Order: sequence, then structure tokens, then C-alpha cells
Amino acid sequence: MNLRNKQNPPKDAPYPDIFDHKMFRDWMRTPHDVGGEDDVPMQFEEKQEEQWELNTYVTCECLAWRGIWNAEERRRRQNVDIGNAMYLGLPYYGRWLLAAARIMVDKQHVTLTELMNKMEEVKKRHD
Amino acid sequence: MTKRSHHAEIATGKGDPQCFSNTTSAPSKFKVGDKVRIKELPDIFYTRTQVYTRGAVGEVAVVTHESPAPEDESWDNTDHSEWFYIVRFRQKDLWPEYPDCYANDTLQTEFSERWLEAVK
Repeated sequence: MNLRNKQNPPKDAPYPDIFDHKMFRDWMRTPHDVGGEDDVPMQFEEKQEEQWELNTYVTCECLAWRGIWNAEERRRRQNVDIGNAMYLGLPYYGRWLLAAARIMVDKQHVTLTELMNKMEEVKKRHD
Repeated sequence: MTKRSHHAEIATGKGDPQCFSNTTSAPSKFKVGDKVRIKELPDIFYTRTQVYTRGAVGEVAVVTHESPAPEDESWDNTDHSEWFYIVRFRQKDLWPEYPDCYANDTLQTEFSERWLEAVK
């Protein structure tokens, strides 16, 4: 039996003399490992995927098909690397979409500058 | 640019994890019915082994397949494959407050071999 909790910061950047090994293990717990955490029931909504969500899924599959990532690397990026706040705070396919953009930058298929410029260009189309 | 993995190419026509069949260097260490304890390994950066299973004792329900472990595959390293197992736990062994009236309830989840140790 080993129930660790994810931690909220007691204070910013604690001094190391109060940061013991138990706290370290609590902090290292991965965001997608939610089993056993206290929570309240969610409202279930009968709702189909929106078009952007379907497009995001296909984009992520294409990235796998073209050898940019495999499914496990995608899960690491969208479920864990993203951190606790974004894991809980973003819509499900929002995490997929951010992970897709991030891997293109991380593996240097686009630069962040190119991505920013493209986002700005697309946004202007809708102004 | 980072080298592409072509993971999709090796899986085409076979599927994943089928594409990793016969890639382990040894036969599976455990068999169906073996009692196993989940090891308390570090969980920095990435794992799929849930905290609530650490240290718990269960029984091997299925020897499932061979694959690189999630901890390696998530950084696109497929050099070493491991056996995977579905392990069955009594819910009462996982959750201290689990009600006695559901004593027969079980939970099954999957682990790669590195997470398991034999229980005598």
C-alpha cells in the first residue's frame, strides 16, 4: 500500500532542509497517475467531438505515420510533460494539440518563430 | 532535424505490440498464477505504473506480450524488449478503506517485467 499525494506548493521554491525524500516522491508523481486521489463526480455531457478535436487526432496519427513520434512518446508529452496544472486545466484534445505543436518544435521540424508567425497569420484571417 | 523513428513502418501489417514478438532475450520470468509484488522504483519523468500498486502483492493473470517498456519507448528507444503481464489484485489489498462486503472484488492492470518481484 502506497498512497502518495500530488502536492500544491506550500511556498515558492522551499529551502532544501524542509524538502525531504517523501516530498520529493510526492512531487515526482506523474500527472496522469490519478488513481486514489480525492475528487468529486464530474458532470457527464453527451457530446460529439468538435471538428478541431477530430483534426487534432488525425494530425497526431500522421505524426506517428511519418515517424515523428510513437504512441508512447505522444502519451508522455500530452499526459506527463505538460504538468499537473495543464493536465487538469486543458480540454482533453487541447493536450493532444499542444503536444503535437511541441514535438514539431522540439525535434526541429519547425522553429518556434515559424510557429508563432503562422499562428499570428491564421488569427488575422479571422479578425 | 532529429532522426525519424519509423516505428510505424515496423508495425505496418503486424500491429504493435505484435511487431515486438520474439524480441526479448529471455523467456518470461513469471507464469500465470505466480504471486508478485510491485517494486517501488523511481517514477521520475515517465511511467505507467500507478502509485497505488507500489508494494502491493497480486497474482499474474495473463502473460500478455513483449514490447519495449513505456519508460524506454516514450523516448523512442526500442533497443530492449520486456515481457508484459496483467496482474490481478484484491481491491482490499489496494485501498485501505475498501468495504468488507465487497471482499471478492479484484482489479487488473498491466506491468512490464522490471516492475515485478517474486513473492515466496
